[in-house]
Amino acid sequence: MLGNLIQQTVNALTIGSIYALIALGYTMVYGVLRMINFAHGEMFMLGAYVAFLLLSMLVGDVGMAGAIALAMAFVIAIFLVGAVGVGIERVAYKPLRNSTRLAPMLSSLGVSLSLVTGIQILAGPQPVAFPSFFPVVRYEVMGGTITSMQIGILVAAFVLMFGLHFLVTRSRIGIIVRAVSESRPTAQLLGINVNGAISMVFFVGPLLGAAGGILYASYYGIMSPTMGAVIGLKAFTAAILGGIGSIPGAMLGAFILAFVEVGGTALLPVITHGVLGTEYRDVLTFAILILVLLVRPAGILGEAVSEESVVYKREF
Amino acid sequence: MRKFAATLLFGASLFAAPAMAEQVTVGLSAPLSGPQAYFGTTWHNGFKLYVDKLNAEGGVNGVTVAYEQEDDKADPREGTLVAQKFCDNDQVVLGLVNFNSGVAQSTLPIYEDCTLPTMTFGSNPSLTKQGYEFMVRPVANDLAGALLPAEFAIGKLGAKTALVVNDKQVFGQGISEIFAKNFQAGGGTLLDTIAVAPNDVDFAAVLAQIKPKKPDVIYLGAVMPQLALFAKQMHEQGITATLIVPDGGYTPDLIKQAGEPSIQGTLVAIQVPPMDASPAIADFAKAYKAKYGEEAGPYSIYGYVQGQILEQVLKTTKGLTREDINAALHAVKVKTAVGDLEFDETGELKVAPSYLYKVEGSNFQLVGSK
Amino acid sequence: MSVAEARTAVRPRSSRIVPLLVFAITIALIVATPFLPNYYVRVVNSLLIYILLGIGLNIVIGYTGLLDLGFVAFYAVGAYTYALLASPQFDLHLPFLLILVIAACLGAITGILLGIPVLRLRGDYLAIVTLGFGEIIRIIINNLDWLTGGPQGIARLDKASILGLQIARPVDFFWLLLVVVVVAGVVAWRLEHSILGKAWAAIREDQDAARGVGINTTNAKLAAFATSATIGSIAGAIFGASQRFVSPESFTLQESVLIVLMIVVGGIGNILGIVAGAAILILLPEVLREFAEWRILFLGLLMIFLIIVRPAGIVPRSFGPEKLIRGLFGK
Repeated sequence: MLGNLIQQTVNALTIGSIYALIALGYTMVYGVLRMINFAHGEMFMLGAYVAFLLLSMLVGDVGMAGAIALAMAFVIAIFLVGAVGVGIERVAYKPLRNSTRLAPMLSSLGVSLSLVTGIQILAGPQPVAFPSFFPVVRYEVMGGTITSMQIGILVAAFVLMFGLHFLVTRSRIGIIVRAVSESRPTAQLLGINVNGAISMVFFVGPLLGAAGGILYASYYGIMSPTMGAVIGLKAFTAAILGGIGSIPGAMLGAFILAFVEVGGTALLPVITHGVLGTEYRDVLTFAILILVLLVRPAGILGEAVSEESVVYKREF
Repeated sequence: MRKFAATLLFGASLFAAPAMAEQVTVGLSAPLSGPQAYFGTTWHNGFKLYVDKLNAEGGVNGVTVAYEQEDDKADPREGTLVAQKFCDNDQVVLGLVNFNSGVAQSTLPIYEDCTLPTMTFGSNPSLTKQGYEFMVRPVANDLAGALLPAEFAIGKLGAKTALVVNDKQVFGQGISEIFAKNFQAGGGTLLDTIAVAPNDVDFAAVLAQIKPKKPDVIYLGAVMPQLALFAKQMHEQGITATLIVPDGGYTPDLIKQAGEPSIQGTLVAIQVPPMDASPAIADFAKAYKAKYGEEAGPYSIYGYVQGQILEQVLKTTKGLTREDINAALHAVKVKTAVGDLEFDETGELKVAPSYLYKVEGSNFQLVGSK
Repeated sequence: MSVAEARTAVRPRSSRIVPLLVFAITIALIVATPFLPNYYVRVVNSLLIYILLGIGLNIVIGYTGLLDLGFVAFYAVGAYTYALLASPQFDLHLPFLLILVIAACLGAITGILLGIPVLRLRGDYLAIVTLGFGEIIRIIINNLDWLTGGPQGIARLDKASILGLQIARPVDFFWLLLVVVVVAGVVAWRLEHSILGKAWAAIREDQDAARGVGINTTNAKLAAFATSATIGSIAGAIFGASQRFVSPESFTLQESVLIVLMIVVGGIGNILGIVAGAAILILLPEVLREFAEWRILFLGLLMIFLIIVRPAGIVPRSFGPEKLIRGLFGK
């Protein structure tokens, strides 16, 4: 029982840290542009594909890649995807910055559709086996099984998240991004380079998303052109749950979501005596999301937007 | 709008054109875009391979075969539009249609209304039980597909207990229910049935639940890549039960994606004979690779066999109308690459070949057939 | 001629040409459709169903300004209402018109059920909750095997008939859909200009100010959800009757997103815009069918292009049906 508990906890932490990496991208973009970037899940997918391409260019047979090749592929891939993110913002969202709030969101849907289909055409629609980025060793801890892969993912995700935390709270770039996120017009009046800040966000967000994608693909051993859709939706849900626009909120939301999912899978059939099986897990997830939003309409750590606030006026 | 009008005119001109007496058109419909595109295209490629060869040899008694390939996106709504398109085109006398049973459910009434005979690929048993007179199914349905593995598990593996997992999709749920029934009928005990969400990639929580039950075999009614993911995670969790999976797993991807050590001993049931089973099949595999530059897909051989069925139909048919073709199709007796085939009155194969493979190393070894 | 003069000389003419052209094409299409091969009739039917869905969703998104990403749930409610009441599933075979009424009522009820919890939410929080609602409905349909057949769906639905007149051929559905779309369009248009419509517009422009001037925003929002859901549910029932098979695959999140896209690409808040959006997003992929994967890529790129070039939609909100009619008679 204890072993089971430990094992499920580690499972939830692993999935949660991947969700968190992606949720951060949603929340940062939302922070500065008040826009849901539906193409963000595709950055996650792109990360895996770019890393795979780099690996096959570096070593030919990707299954045989050594540690240096893997590390190089990982780093180059996430930076490349970050650059792609900046490019997409310039082409597809920037022209719409002063338009309605719905326009860039739908533009991002177009970007998402194009990227998925583009990869399907280039790399084929079927899933591809993805090499493991960590050697797989199994540890038995009090009856539970934990793999070195899970530990590696946790470490990598936390390093990235602390990196982001440092970037946002301690660096000059972070101050600029936070200023723009607080109020774009004011930041502009103060002479802050708003475009630079937005580009920065569209670099860091996809970079983290791509890292999440590589970790995810190497954890499960496959990648597919549509992998961003499902996971993107979950990460987006996590960002909303935590309070979109809030960076700690995105991380908290991601871990809560992961624990609800793992717990739901393990406990739903037990609690309901088999009436509701594992297949109802997503119902549980969304039900919890709805309940949380009813109590706290702006998410757990979101800024409480009062009825008088001007932020949300004029949606369309 | 103008494009639409142009298509209209083009469509109209097709009808006006004098019918070329010695050519028939076959309508091909399957998912050609989206996640299932690989199965649709490779299945169709098998058919095209045979038909192109046929045409190059001058056709059957001078009748050549043209084909019109359409994408149904595995979506019932798109499927009905394609069905109607084939129905409207008088040149089309046979449909090689619908990879997905869900799509076939909504297109079969349309084909029936316009008396267009079809060879339907969807394997859900209910399709032939609805009284359609213009369809045959040139492939074993799920009833046959899940019988052999159940018998093998009890007879050869000596399994007493089984646990069934399905993905709550038309195919996965249908076939795993049939397995469960057959397994129990053979004297085995069904420990539990667990459903997972169709898009799930993480089975750790489900597996943790399965582990203490210690089943002898686990039947997983799902498709790729879930099959590979499940096998891999099963191995990682140290569950030693024999995993049995349906036809979707009959692809090198299963071994590659799960990783060789994780997948050893897994049983895969499919209607397809081994590629080296007979000279005919080996020839097919070689010709396929030569033409398309890649290995044949899991269902390509059936596309090829459907081409062979068509050849025999054209040899025996009285005329080239849809009714004549339908009559000849239902009465057909043909020696194909997968054996002698003929249909019963519901359009089901009289003897539906089905095979069971075991993963050994990086290969599929035939361990049983029926 | 000076530029200003030229402009005034051209203006009245061009404002008449467009309505005349639109009118002529519409009439020509309506007259021609029944004589086309069945495939084209089916394509037009599919278009009409999406226009109907667009008209329904537009009430919530376009008129009231609430982003609803779970609209497909109401579509599913309608389709399954028909499937359960006119099929061998429970051996019930109710008449089509009665089912339409039941579907409309069930649609309204689900609309209000969704409306109540989301009254307090705004913007993106509303979007995700409606999205979750749509997914919950789909998952429940997929799992309640005893009721809905689960993933296998419900097959062999009855052929519909109205007062003894059988509606089975694509052309029958064309007439039925045409009538329903016109009625729904007129209803939506009249609602937009009613007191209720003004309240919706007020909520869309500034919810707090709307409340300030004494509008009961709760009732107005619920009314919007209910009307929109009713139309969606009716569309679903007709879809079920024409497809004669329903399964959860037809009611995915993508479908909801497609309808939202249709509205925004076409012109939000404007019935004419919905028609334009549906024409692009439903007809174009059909025309380009032979290009399989490439057509989807093209569609994605076209979407980005259209939104950047015309962020407010192809047909602006100001060019509504009234303008079209006025233009037609030269006033």
